[in-house]
Amino acid sequence: MLLNRENSGSRWRIRPDGAGKVTGGLVYLTDMTAQPMLYGLVLRSEHPHARIISIQTERAKQHKGVHAVLTHRDIPGLNAFGIAHPDQPVLCADTVLYVGDALVAVAAESMELAQEALELVEIEYEVLEILEDPEKALLADAPQLHKGGNAMHRTAFARGDVDEAFKQCAIVVEETYYTPRQMHTYMETEGGLFVPGEDGRLTVYSPTQHGFMDRMQLARILAVSLEQIRIVSSPIGGSFGGKDELNVQPYGALLAIQTGRAIKMHNSRQESVRAGLKRHPMRMAMKTGVDAAGRLLAHQVDILSDTGPYSTLGAEVLNFATEHVIGPYKYENLNVKGISVFTNNGMSGEFRGFGGNQAIFALEGQMDRLAERLGMSPWQFRKLNMRQKEDLGPFDQPIAMTEGAERVWTAVEKSRLWQEKTLLEQSAIAVSTDPWLKIGIGAAFTMHGAGLGVGIPDPAGGRLQLAADGKIEAVFGYEEFGQGLLASLEQMLIEQFGFGAADIRMIIGDTDIVPDSGSTTASRATAMMWKSLQRLKKPFTDQLLKEAGAIMGCQAEELQLREGGIGKQTNDQVLLSYADLASKAIFPISSETSFSFPTSPTERVGAHFMYTYSAVVVKVELNTLTGRVKVLQQYHAVAAGPVINPQGYLGQIEGGSSMALGFTLLEDAVMDKGHYMTRNLDTYLIPTIADQLGLVEVEPIEHLPEQDEYGPRGIGEVGSVTLAPAIAAAVRQASGKWVTKLPIEPEFLQETPFFLTGASGNDRT
Amino acid sequence: MGMNAQGSMAFPQVWHPQTAAEAWHLKQSFGTDSVYVSGGTLLRTQWESGVAAIPKHLIDLSAIRGLGEIRIGETGLVIGGQVSLEACRTHPIIQRHFPIVTEALRQTAAPSIRRLGTIGGNIASNIGDSLPALLGYNAHVVWYNGMEDLQITLSEWLKIAGMLHTERLLLQIQLPFQADETLEGHEVEHLRSVISKTKRFSAYHKVGRREAFTPSVVTASVSGSLSEKKEVNEIRIALGGGQMIAQRLEELERELLGKVIDVQLLRHVYNRIMQLYKPREDLFASVSYRKTTAAHLIASELWKAAHQ
Repeated sequence: MLLNRENSGSRWRIRPDGAGKVTGGLVYLTDMTAQPMLYGLVLRSEHPHARIISIQTERAKQHKGVHAVLTHRDIPGLNAFGIAHPDQPVLCADTVLYVGDALVAVAAESMELAQEALELVEIEYEVLEILEDPEKALLADAPQLHKGGNAMHRTAFARGDVDEAFKQCAIVVEETYYTPRQMHTYMETEGGLFVPGEDGRLTVYSPTQHGFMDRMQLARILAVSLEQIRIVSSPIGGSFGGKDELNVQPYGALLAIQTGRAIKMHNSRQESVRAGLKRHPMRMAMKTGVDAAGRLLAHQVDILSDTGPYSTLGAEVLNFATEHVIGPYKYENLNVKGISVFTNNGMSGEFRGFGGNQAIFALEGQMDRLAERLGMSPWQFRKLNMRQKEDLGPFDQPIAMTEGAERVWTAVEKSRLWQEKTLLEQSAIAVSTDPWLKIGIGAAFTMHGAGLGVGIPDPAGGRLQLAADGKIEAVFGYEEFGQGLLASLEQMLIEQFGFGAADIRMIIGDTDIVPDSGSTTASRATAMMWKSLQRLKKPFTDQLLKEAGAIMGCQAEELQLREGGIGKQTNDQVLLSYADLASKAIFPISSETSFSFPTSPTERVGAHFMYTYSAVVVKVELNTLTGRVKVLQQYHAVAAGPVINPQGYLGQIEGGSSMALGFTLLEDAVMDKGHYMTRNLDTYLIPTIADQLGLVEVEPIEHLPEQDEYGPRGIGEVGSVTLAPAIAAAVRQASGKWVTKLPIEPEFLQETPFFLTGASGNDRT
Repeated sequence: MGMNAQGSMAFPQVWHPQTAAEAWHLKQSFGTDSVYVSGGTLLRTQWESGVAAIPKHLIDLSAIRGLGEIRIGETGLVIGGQVSLEACRTHPIIQRHFPIVTEALRQTAAPSIRRLGTIGGNIASNIGDSLPALLGYNAHVVWYNGMEDLQITLSEWLKIAGMLHTERLLLQIQLPFQADETLEGHEVEHLRSVISKTKRFSAYHKVGRREAFTPSVVTASVSGSLSEKKEVNEIRIALGGGQMIAQRLEELERELLGKVIDVQLLRHVYNRIMQLYKPREDLFASVSYRKTTAAHLIASELWKAAHQ
């Protein structure tokens, strides 16, 4: 059954943060101010690669209204950050490696004065040769950007002997795929308010996807204990991975400590583009062979990833891509190699899909080419090679078993849109009145891992408590960045416990209050909240009922939770409100749980255990006069266990797919010699509503095996993964051309119209 | 240095002249420290991107009397330069008599910008989306040279756009009605019998990098009429896009008059557009893509006029 408002009935709820967001009433952290308050700005490098000869800040310091001008000399602790490998300087001392590198931070009484102060800083550089091509960065004579060399991280996974196997193959397809430097383009650019307290503590109001990680990194930079810092991190105006790493926080924190005043920072869009993370551009060379029956015998992959100047999670993204270029298929022989390379381009890092988007574009491209060469239906070809329920994961690791793959496959096979493809092939559909418009339909499939994977700490947990005012407080260390986390949490509390929306207070994103529930990344938060509530349900309910029984003079077993309070099972009345319970209870009522995201029993770092299976069928219209592609219709089948929040689920798949549409047709943060050419949203174009007017249908497959204890799988990323290869397949049907590079160049798809060749329009199908 | 930060916070002085002469004098006295401003939507993007600095003086044209209305003049429709793009887009007479102008404006920017931006500003930019559509109707412009109002064709205005000083102050746009639209009584009857055997056609295309709110890569308009035998009676072809100043392809228009639309003629159209159209390249679209696209679009419209 399709997921929509009609089919969801009363489960279709208005999200609790909806009204504030649509009216503009909600105060984001970057809307906050304090009185008095200073403005912080950062001076970033003019050059993508240079040695710093000198930094003169005297004139800036003397400028009116300036309270602090900081350089690397003013950092009390570690002058570096990075979630996994702290190798990015907070303020550069010797060299700059990209145009976002920070050199000086200033605090002044107004934005204008801070800006003027930056202009008074004098920096002498010795410009160095830049590395803009990761391939060239690997040459022996290339300048080395880091002590360990330019190869930031390598991966390898092999089984059998591909060279020998290729000799046995009936068909071998070789292709190289390229993906763009996509920008997250969250509406709210990076920023925050940094407030030093009278108690010597620092409160940081700044968006992030893992408050406790920011606290640890900031404590390391400031050389203070963790307790000295409080991070308030929600609500957030979009992140998509882009605010996972520190951005303005080190500067705001240093300036606040230095001046003893509140500091406001908020990046302009241009600064956000310049300093912020992007999706890793990848080049993926693939060679894949089958026997005459279509069985995959050998798959060889070579991934080259441009990670930019510093690590952040570049290694982890490459691990993920390495796993997902193997993906949902079985091969007798495998040889996958990956390398992530330091360059002087922009920072690459974590981004929704996490390397899966690039991997699946290439992998599914191979599957379509092989099927065509075999003369098979591309969907039948996939079925023939797909991992079955009992099979191991891509790295031959044990995984949580589901029938997701097969059920997704079947949903697509039966879908109206896929059937229409066959009709198109048989030319059973009338041609357009504009004969230069051509239609194509394509599909693609993936299995997408959730959680951080083996070898990376991945804590989870949360707390339920009855507050003094009688509110049921759900306290989690997760973040709301628009994905609908609060709506999902509220719905689970209502549906699983029987509370009413008015009974609940949700508390997230404040390190002084919440437990460390791990990061809000990797499609993990809803699954981990669900699991937490499963674990908390009995102890918390028991406490509430036991305490209520004592007050009401009856057995806890006679009672149950309902909207507004507690009643007897024998009738519908509320006999004791939660407020009365709170005021009369002798002991505090609270339950906490902590556990880890489930991982596979394997040594393979980054290997996943829980997977979402999904596929999309897409219909496109190609205008051969202009070469432009329009997406007309999409059908998504997603096997991710139970739908927790229908609106949120639909929103994640639709939203992810619109991001994928941009990745496929529009988006590329173009760089030239280490400088961004697309510095603002007038040149970096993301899809508008007019680019995605077509129908998007989402079919959730909720089935899980009976013994499954893991519940809902992640859906935060998977909607952004499959659309690109599906559009490429649809373009193949429409144009006869194979796309290997994203975003698709209209020029590549232009055709000489029939009216210039003398052919008749009607003959051209 | 510091170009990464919030942009320089200059606050220009804004002047509100009541007449064209006052505006002109302000411009004369402030010179290059000033710019004329209407909606300011294009200027804002230039300041933001650093293409132009915020000037010390803004000369706001919105208060100049008589420039904010659309009226029917002696020979055509007169549109004041200060009329917003949105007001032009939704104007019933423009919709009825100059539909490709409406279509061009539908595809211009986004609703919020169309409410601020003006038709005069769109024209004065030399690269506005409306230009190929206005050229398709042989629009005239009225401008002020410091002494008097002058009228020339939009086509001429654009040809000298690169050479003439930037101070010329655009006041109005005139869109001539077609001959049959101003006639009455028996003359109309006679004309109808002729017109019924001819086929009028017009089309406007904007190709951008996305479906809406996009800078144009190619803008193209074609309008004209065909005889029963598919001979070209009248034709206007206009092209723009990107940073190129929009132009009429008058040479090609002359070559097509009296010719029958067939494969040979369409090939000729294609080849001549490839020669005559001089778009500028940028990061996102090559010259050859722009030329091919323009040639395809114009040729396809002629094919449609002859075959559909």
